[in-house]
Amino acid sequence: MLQVLISGLAVGTIYGLVAMAFAVVFYVTKVINFATGQLLMASILIAAGLINGGTPDWLGIAVALASVTVLGVLTYLVAVRPVLRFDRFSFSWLVSTLGVALVIQAVFAIVYGPASVPFPRGWHGIPVRLGFATITVQEIAILATGVLAIAVWELVRRRTLLGKLGMAISTDPEMASAVGANTTAYAIGAFAVGGFLAGLAGILVGPITYGNPYLGDTYGIYGFIALMIGGIQRPTAAMGGGLVLGVLSLAANAYIGSQASDWFPFVLVLLVLLLTPNGVFASGDALRSTLRRRSAFAGAEA
Amino acid sequence: MIAALPERRWIGTLILIALFLAGTWYTATGGFGLQSIVTVTAIFVVLAVSLDLVAGMVGLYSLGHAGLFAIGAYGTTLLARNADLDVFLLLPLVVVAAGLVGAVLGALSLRVSGLYFAITTFIFTIIVYVTLSNSSWTGGLQGLSGPLFPAFPDPIEDVLGRSVVWAVAAVVFIAIGISWSIRSSPFYPVLLAVRDAEPYARAHGVHTSLVKVGMFALSAGMAGMAGWAFSFLVYQSPGQFGWVQSVMILVMVIVGGINTRFGPILGAVLVGVFPFVVKIDPFVQDVVFGLVFVLVIVFFPRGLVGLGHLVMRRMRERRRAASGERPPELAEAEIEAVEVAALDTEPPMRADSDDIALAARGISFSYVPGVPVLRDVDMVVRRGTIHGLIGPNGSGKSTLVNLIAGELRPHRGSIELNGVRVERLGAPARPAHGLRRTFQSAVMVRELSLVENTTVGLYSTVRRIAARSVIWPLLPGARRDGRRMRAAAADALSSVGLESSWHTSAVRDVPHGVEQLTQLAAAIVSEPTVLVLDEPLAGLSGAEMTHVAQILRRLREEGVTVIVIEHQTRFIFDNCDEVTVLAAGELVTSGAAPGVRENARVREVYLG
Repeated sequence: MLQVLISGLAVGTIYGLVAMAFAVVFYVTKVINFATGQLLMASILIAAGLINGGTPDWLGIAVALASVTVLGVLTYLVAVRPVLRFDRFSFSWLVSTLGVALVIQAVFAIVYGPASVPFPRGWHGIPVRLGFATITVQEIAILATGVLAIAVWELVRRRTLLGKLGMAISTDPEMASAVGANTTAYAIGAFAVGGFLAGLAGILVGPITYGNPYLGDTYGIYGFIALMIGGIQRPTAAMGGGLVLGVLSLAANAYIGSQASDWFPFVLVLLVLLLTPNGVFASGDALRSTLRRRSAFAGAEA
Repeated sequence: MIAALPERRWIGTLILIALFLAGTWYTATGGFGLQSIVTVTAIFVVLAVSLDLVAGMVGLYSLGHAGLFAIGAYGTTLLARNADLDVFLLLPLVVVAAGLVGAVLGALSLRVSGLYFAITTFIFTIIVYVTLSNSSWTGGLQGLSGPLFPAFPDPIEDVLGRSVVWAVAAVVFIAIGISWSIRSSPFYPVLLAVRDAEPYARAHGVHTSLVKVGMFALSAGMAGMAGWAFSFLVYQSPGQFGWVQSVMILVMVIVGGINTRFGPILGAVLVGVFPFVVKIDPFVQDVVFGLVFVLVIVFFPRGLVGLGHLVMRRMRERRRAASGERPPELAEAEIEAVEVAALDTEPPMRADSDDIALAARGISFSYVPGVPVLRDVDMVVRRGTIHGLIGPNGSGKSTLVNLIAGELRPHRGSIELNGVRVERLGAPARPAHGLRRTFQSAVMVRELSLVENTTVGLYSTVRRIAARSVIWPLLPGARRDGRRMRAAAADALSSVGLESSWHTSAVRDVPHGVEQLTQLAAAIVSEPTVLVLDEPLAGLSGAEMTHVAQILRRLREEGVTVIVIEHQTRFIFDNCDEVTVLAAGELVTSGAAPGVRENARVREVYLG
């Protein structure tokens, strides 16, 4: 029970980081970058390639994170910006970002081959016993990174001018650019942060999964599902969706059957999409405003 | 397009059909290699055409078509294997099944937005893929071989060749036939209005959500039909039905030209034939496909057919410039004066008219709880009058109009239209009770002509346009209705003073005043009893205002009740029989125009 919870939270944080990467980009640009999962994969394989080639661990990881950040920005410049310039309201970026995903995946498959590539074990070999459950130091690091990511995001968003302008652009890009906000710079920034978060998730999960060109597909889809569960409007909610997905799918594995995690996430997201289309954590707001309206009417009647 | 000569079009159609049959015969009697390329490409054509029905015509980017395709293919194979059903019986079965799945998906996901629709259908495809690859009854990742399509009896086979090629041809023929038929029917402008101008469509009685769900169900059924034919052709495995295939179908549509007759067909042929012609390593092929996705979207957002149109348009413009002809944008204000009573005659006060056309009583409404926008407002409009509704900015005029037209529902109060209580009906249900409206700034389908936009106004008065649109040209009654609708639309346009040279111009090419008049023509073409005009003068020139005033007077002579919301108080007091004044969400006064003009409170709050 406790083991399911702890392991679920750890894997959920990875899904949550990917979901956050999706959500940060969506928050500013209203675009879903479907190449996000492939950025996670790219960071694992770049780091693994460098480290296996003799580069020090820290340098390999730093280069990998920097590369996927740049790759995120490139995705924006090549596949998103021209599309939005042609028609700001079209959904054509669905196709172009999926195209980028396909290219990244195929290129890495050509360079590294389709088989798995070893990744340094990091702290994954060090277990810590917690009562009846075991957690590795790597998993503790994952959880800590997740908490840190949320804390930094919320601090920047609420407390700094940078974050407030970001909120303004998110709400009304035309108005924000009319008062002088550089929406393009923010969009580039969002894709950079998205790339960095996905890369971070890759580095954290690498010691557990090793490197493989098709990891991007798996984590991209799970991250996307986490995003849909949590709610696409807010990165914090997306992280919450990741945790819910992680815990529930491990619970399904433990209590339904060992193959349950193959189909369970999809059933879960379908239920969420049908019941609360804006996500589990966004529906709190909807509920609250409905309640407020009810009480206001009650007041008006009285 | 619509103006093309019918005889010439019939000849063209016959030639196309003859070519199609000849091509099918050539393939069916040809070699196996040719057959496999042509049949698989033909399946892509059906999928692309089916996707264009939703992506092109109603703007819904479905990423679920690979999943729906899988329902058709796996459904046919599994039922043929396990239930031993006849393949011809399976066709309607899988088409209906895929259509129903589409209807459910559409109904559930369209509650929120178009993006949400794309996401839900994307997840649907992934779920189908996961189910197919993890289930033992579908053969897992290995897949299944499909049923055999019954061959022709020997003597026929000697002449016609392989039967399955003819089956695929029939499927292609049905898909293209339905798609082209819808394009030639009066339902097509309605669909584009649902895509580009939803409020406009709703105001003319189109239940837009129903239309979207219906179109997606049709498109889904067509994808199921493609799956049925596909099951006879190749060994099926989940890899043929993943999200990449969904995106690929969308790319086919966009490469060829979204929302065009030949675009999806062209795109499907180009993308479908590619892997047969260029045989490369699958990884490199993925890179190429990915690059194609990006490059097409970035450089050819309108596709090859769109590119062709653009080139032709440029050439036409250059020729026109060379011959010194003025482009339509500059040929402004060639609007005919309308024959009506002279402006200086006193409005005939109809004291006898106690007949009430529209009565809103005790209306209260607020957008945000606790901040009422309208408080206990009454507005009673007598039949056959021009009734003005004025008030300062923020007084609630537009809100009241939206309540009358059904875009909003009042929290309290009743609205009676021609004696029927309508406050619980939505906007699309109100035209049936004789109400039509216009909008402050017209949003219509920019790529369609004035006539086509005006026919949208007749949608709710002509029987079963949507249902008949799939075989429109085959129904003599439907063709007659179509001609009648175009004639009525042209008459309505002429009656608001737009001479026939305007009628075939696209809305995007005409000046603002003409656009506003077209909106008015669409509102009166169905001969409503009550007409609500929301700031009809916004952005019009002085001459155009006089023109509108004349149109309103003529409408009153014809017995139409007109409600005008305007800021121009002079226009209101010069032309209206009665006036209602709102201020800060409350009724100030209502009554005959001269009396209202002298009212002290009106002078205070409004006239200053």
